[in-house]
Amino acid sequence: MVCLSRFFVVSCTVKPSAPPLSRRFVHTKRKLNSRWQSMATDPDSSFSAPSVDSDSTADKTGAGFCIIEGPETVQDFATMELQEIEDNIRSRRNKIFLQMEEVRRLRIQQRIKCAELGIYKEEQESDLPNFPSFIPFLPPLTSSNLKVYYVTCYSLIAGIIIFGGLLAPTLELKLGLGGTSYADFIGSVHLPMQLSQVDPIVASFSGGAVGVISALMVVEINNVKQQEHKRCKYCLGTGYLACARCLTTGSIVLTEPVSTVNGGDRPLSPPISERCSNCSGSGKVMCPTCLCTGMAMASEHDPRIDPFD
Amino acid sequence: MAGVLLWVVSPKGNATALLSLIPRSVNKPKKRSFKRVSAISGAVANPVRSSEQRVYDVVLKQAALVKEQRGRKALDLEKRSEKTDGFTDWDLLNEAYDRCGEVCAEYAKTFYLGTLLMTPERRRAVWAIYVWCRRTDELVDGPNASHITPRALDRWEKRLDDLFEGRPYDMLDAALSDTVSKYPVDIQPFKDMIEGMRLDLKKSRYMNFDELYLYCYYVAGTVGLMSVPVMGIAPESKASVESVYNSALALGIANQLTNILRDVGEDARRGRVYLPQDELARFGLSDDDIFRGQVTDRWRNFMKDQIKRARMFFDEAEKGVPELNPASRWPVWASLLLYRQILDAIEENDYNNFNKRAYVGKVKKFASLPVAYGRALMGTSKFI
Repeated sequence: MVCLSRFFVVSCTVKPSAPPLSRRFVHTKRKLNSRWQSMATDPDSSFSAPSVDSDSTADKTGAGFCIIEGPETVQDFATMELQEIEDNIRSRRNKIFLQMEEVRRLRIQQRIKCAELGIYKEEQESDLPNFPSFIPFLPPLTSSNLKVYYVTCYSLIAGIIIFGGLLAPTLELKLGLGGTSYADFIGSVHLPMQLSQVDPIVASFSGGAVGVISALMVVEINNVKQQEHKRCKYCLGTGYLACARCLTTGSIVLTEPVSTVNGGDRPLSPPISERCSNCSGSGKVMCPTCLCTGMAMASEHDPRIDPFD
Repeated sequence: MAGVLLWVVSPKGNATALLSLIPRSVNKPKKRSFKRVSAISGAVANPVRSSEQRVYDVVLKQAALVKEQRGRKALDLEKRSEKTDGFTDWDLLNEAYDRCGEVCAEYAKTFYLGTLLMTPERRRAVWAIYVWCRRTDELVDGPNASHITPRALDRWEKRLDDLFEGRPYDMLDAALSDTVSKYPVDIQPFKDMIEGMRLDLKKSRYMNFDELYLYCYYVAGTVGLMSVPVMGIAPESKASVESVYNSALALGIANQLTNILRDVGEDARRGRVYLPQDELARFGLSDDDIFRGQVTDRWRNFMKDQIKRARMFFDEAEKGVPELNPASRWPVWASLLLYRQILDAIEENDYNNFNKRAYVGKVKKFASLPVAYGRALMGTSKFI
């Protein structure tokens, strides 16, 4: 195959560290092709759980995959052809999909076994999942909690309407400090007198609108704070840190030292710039804390952020 | 805004201590088992070299490097320019340092406030070191630690080597790379910290104090050694460089022991016991007693003994703060005094470190500041 011969050519011309790389990829490619074919034909192949697990871990550790990036690691997959890469992506995504299903079934078994052995699992799934409230100082919301929220909310509204509409006029309460009327109050705080002649409908509408808008702002700010709390602090949620080799430009200018003693009248050749090998031209490298998810606590569900977005 | 320095503690008891002290004497604190030999009397042939000996070798090497570097100061400047040649985008570097500061403020608020007591240059250097230590710690102890293999740590070490040679990988590495080019920081403590992480992957029990001492050195003593070059030794100090480093080491160990004693319950819930097994046995205790989490008289006696030892390390460390650069003494004293108070808090909790967190209140923290300032002014004094 043409590609194989290219591997060997590559291995001959590069430093001694490269041959293991090419060997590994021939090995991986063969393994991958066979597994991909087997996966395509037999969707249940992944259910021979132990062999697949050992296979996949052997694939991972045997192939030398390591979750932390280094200067030479990004080139891990560089020797593959485009079609191979696409095939690899497709097979891996398929694998992930099937493994998520396996996790689901295993969890069911785990639940059953725990119930049999009488082990009480602290996190019981409720109908409505538990999530924190966006309003500061309030406890997290659950299905039972939600009912309490509704009741409190309606009773407060009812109370205020009754107070404003019935109680206050009945008791002839005067607004303002020290039992003054509205006009007197406006006068005492030295505001322009036209404010005391504001139409009640307009006044209540304005007051209500101001209240609603400030409440929404508070909720939104709290929401932002909570989301910020969840994101990785090192990369600020981007999943990447600036590449120090190319200083985020993506390319390195190759400088050749020119001797000015001999051959000083030769014109300088323009500097050659090549793609930065650290970051593969994207200008940023993986954040090892969040593993490109941008989340403070990464899980397998979190999508990995693409560097070229 | 007043600030105090506090060691950063990660859940599993790894401390990232960033201050160092310098004592005068090199007397080793008394230990239980007497296989040790005081280093002053020279290297006595010992079939099994204790951890203390091995660690002290590192201290001697650090001190020797510093002396060597003092002699080669002129050459150093040239080297420096070579190193920073590849990284001349100052905006990006400043941004990197700012990010380090943000991370520090996020994860170690009290410590961050304390760094504000330092000079701006030192502050940035300390932040860069802090962030590297924290990232390393999070590799094995953070939320994604389950994906870390020994191979990953090897790669992390390779990145460390590269950044010390002026080829940082990402911007946070670049901040540390810039720091090590400005201050005579040696790579050995960093490598030892990674070694400590490797150890932590495997070990969850410590048979004797010797093993625990080595662990404490790896995760906290190294930080003391890393920060001595940043804090700086006072030019008028007459103490030997070894004693300075030795005190820094002692402070790191003292801090780590304090963390361990404070977090016994928390560590036990994770299935880890950071107390020497032979000493537990001597007091008639076992892992089960720790997991059960009940305070008995035996436990109280055991804790008293442990606290006494931790205090001895603090005393050792105290001997050397006066030898530091005057600008660095205040934050270092503040941190030392504050951390000592945690031991007092454990005692006040009736040695219940299973359920109660030994906490030093804000009032006490603030009160330590002027005391620390006073002691910082004293300089090389004998009446501490």
